[in-house]
Amino acid sequence: MNAITATAADIPETPTRGLWADAWRRVFRNRLALFMSLIVLLYVLVALFVAFGWLANDWDQSVGGSYEPPSTTNMLGTDIFGLSVLRKTLYGTKISMTVALVAALISLAIGVPLGAMAGYFRGIVDEIIVWIYSTLSSIPGLLLVMAFAFVLKDKSLFGQPLRGITVVYLALGLTSWVGICRLIRGEVIKHKQRDYVAAARAYGCPRWRIILLHLIPNVSHLILIDFSLRFVGFIHAEVILSFLGLGVKDEPSWGVMIDDARLELSRDVWWQMAAATAAIFVVSLALNIVSDALRDALDPKLRE
Amino acid sequence: MKTLHTIQLIIICLMGMHAGCGQEASPPSSSPEGLVVRYSTLSSKIRGLDPMDIGDTTSSAIGGNIFDCLYQYHYLKRPYQLIPNLAAAMPTVSEDSLTYTIPIRDDVVFFDDECFKATSGKGRGLTAADFIYAWKRIANIKNVSKNWWIFDGRIVGFDEFREYTKTIKDKADVDYSKPVEGLVALNDHLLQIKLKKPWPQLQFMLAHLPTAPVPHEAVNHYGEEILNHPVGTGPFILEDWKRGSKIILSRNPTFRDERYPSEGEPGDKEAGLLTDAGKRLPLIDRAEFLVIQEDQPRWLKFMAGDLDVAGIPKDSFDKVINTNRQLTPEMLAKGIILTKYQTPLTLWYGINMEDPILGTNLPLRRAMNLALNRKEYIKLFANDRAIPARGILPAMFGDFNPELVSPYINYDPQKAKQLLVEAQRIHGGPLPTITMTMGGTDSTARQIGQYLTRTYKAVGLNFQVEYMDWPTSQDKVKNKSAQIYAMGWYADYPDSENFLLLFYGPNGSPGPNNMNYKNAEFDELFEQMGTMPSSPERKALVQKMEQMVIEDLPCILTSHPIAFALHYNWALNRKPHVFGEGHLKYGNIDVERRHKAKTG
Repeated sequence: MNAITATAADIPETPTRGLWADAWRRVFRNRLALFMSLIVLLYVLVALFVAFGWLANDWDQSVGGSYEPPSTTNMLGTDIFGLSVLRKTLYGTKISMTVALVAALISLAIGVPLGAMAGYFRGIVDEIIVWIYSTLSSIPGLLLVMAFAFVLKDKSLFGQPLRGITVVYLALGLTSWVGICRLIRGEVIKHKQRDYVAAARAYGCPRWRIILLHLIPNVSHLILIDFSLRFVGFIHAEVILSFLGLGVKDEPSWGVMIDDARLELSRDVWWQMAAATAAIFVVSLALNIVSDALRDALDPKLRE
Repeated sequence: MKTLHTIQLIIICLMGMHAGCGQEASPPSSSPEGLVVRYSTLSSKIRGLDPMDIGDTTSSAIGGNIFDCLYQYHYLKRPYQLIPNLAAAMPTVSEDSLTYTIPIRDDVVFFDDECFKATSGKGRGLTAADFIYAWKRIANIKNVSKNWWIFDGRIVGFDEFREYTKTIKDKADVDYSKPVEGLVALNDHLLQIKLKKPWPQLQFMLAHLPTAPVPHEAVNHYGEEILNHPVGTGPFILEDWKRGSKIILSRNPTFRDERYPSEGEPGDKEAGLLTDAGKRLPLIDRAEFLVIQEDQPRWLKFMAGDLDVAGIPKDSFDKVINTNRQLTPEMLAKGIILTKYQTPLTLWYGINMEDPILGTNLPLRRAMNLALNRKEYIKLFANDRAIPARGILPAMFGDFNPELVSPYINYDPQKAKQLLVEAQRIHGGPLPTITMTMGGTDSTARQIGQYLTRTYKAVGLNFQVEYMDWPTSQDKVKNKSAQIYAMGWYADYPDSENFLLLFYGPNGSPGPNNMNYKNAEFDELFEQMGTMPSSPERKALVQKMEQMVIEDLPCILTSHPIAFALHYNWALNRKPHVFGEGHLKYGNIDVERRHKAKTG
């Protein structure tokens, strides 16, 4: 029988800060990421202000003649109806941020539990879930989203007709959970072997409790990284769907603006295209840099 | 009967591409094999090329060059004048106007096709029985032809034949040899039609593509595939058809001896339209149609000199046309010629009169007409290429009433607001949201929807637009579940009846009266008018009926479009022709001039 002889000196020194605290510290030290976070925050604030009706809620009021170029009166010019392109761009922020947020939450709400269940239960549960996501992932992403959008269009959900933005939420959310599901499954399979899960099991903890209160919190940093990357993808997808006529119709989204502006370019009306693409470019760049910084910050291998 | 939804119509008007003005397209610098080739575009896919089922402008633009009718419109003379085509002469009409006897040319053959097994593929001669057969196919209810309206209730014994087809289970079992009293082939080249009551518009129907003859051999041989294997008597045969991509027509080598007209109206000679007088038709060897649905690629191809003819996209209009509504010097320098002309087309937003909110509320319908600023609408969506509609009939119709006045078809938002108060009183409370069904999801459809929503919200009416594809929207219109929908009418023949039948009660959905307008007095007058020849009395009736419609307002009238069509100076014999189909045979190409222009 070997006595337990390890002393405190033999135990490797654990970091003095937790994962999250260390991550935030590293994000704050990355000045570029910080600046980009402020830009993202600005977009979020604009979206909130628009949602509460404090900003650009008069986007459907004419401010001048048809296709007036940018001027001191109308900074980004006007569209065919004399509507302010600036107000439309600001309003489009709300649409994009809302779509990205809701769609990301839907995809996480589906992908995380399924991945956790597949990883924890294995066996037939795992096989079924893997079969479903393998099938879905074998279909090109955009085609799948478009197919869902076509199917959902003009259908009803809880007695309410599905239109415009709701279709976009659902189409994106229902088709984009595969990545996070696969990721969580793999992590849960790994974590399942760890002592804290074995201890919970030994204490007679119910399985749902182990998944919800032990496993998922321990992989939450992956969820956050995935969420931030997914967010950008959904902004792009909303633009594409609206551009293709499968998305928002009655409100100015960036995709709708680009679709309108496409033909306007031939009459030298560039400002609507420029405004929408610039808005997309800036938020995409900012979100990508912030996501990268988060990934680095939450990677345990890079911990100091 | 060519019905089109607003978006298509606007595009067609902008492109100047409805039947008659042609959609001819583009040639390379030299034609293959020394042939005279005309390169053209189509803005949408062809549904099929069976005359029985042709009902849209795109299919007609192709089918009209493959099939012939008994009569055709003179290419150059105006007003439009019917002349014999497959008929050897104009019909002999009995004194009671009930019996028409039509001699048929004896030099017409169907073009060679494998369906003619008895002659080893060689096309046989056309007979009177071929017309009867083709029309019986339309009557066969199992064929679900959309063109039965042409003959419905008109010919002695024909409705009974249709009833008979209802009793047959399989459409292949329908006995086409079953006699119809009113349709008799007196001999191989003499056709007799007996009518139930006088029908002056019969002559126009006999120039309408669905009445073209089809050989029974082709129908038996190809079955359902007859849609893709047209066998006709026309100037061109279908050489190649890549669905959704390209159609090639080539000269029919067995086409009868038909010549380019030797006379036209004053000015035609000076315009070079009689240069080819007396020459055998068709004048070109081949016509190639590319299917290009997007405006800009089509326009860019035209500007590159790859197309003979094009319309002007909305967003390129200001660069092409100056403030005097003429071509800019840059366009003139390229050898481009502009033709402007009126079309037999009226656009509107149909109101379902069976809708419980709109159908019973006249002040609401009037308010909706008053709230629409037609001038602004036309400026925004058609570059001012349309006349605001005051009535149903376009000005080119003989029965057009220049004095027609309605206090509700003008822009008066204040009055609209007042009428909405009255409308609310009738409704018994606040009006619910009115939903428009838009058969299109593209940028133009969305902008129109946005414009109408803003228009009605400005007068205090809650209005929303539901967007869907064209077939789905048509289903909603047909099953009467749409409240308001975009619609338009491009007349098939130069007679007011063609517009008024859209308001005739028994023609309700799924028939052409998709507004489901019912007015007993109107219906009575329509039936009375239908048997009258053109006369001042008939004109007075037509104008009275039109007045009734604009009083009841089962639609929101918008505009009568004006076509702006462009062509290069190497595309010859181009004269706007808005009725009938199959004018490709008159067109010619100056291949050398095109070659020089292309090679600099």
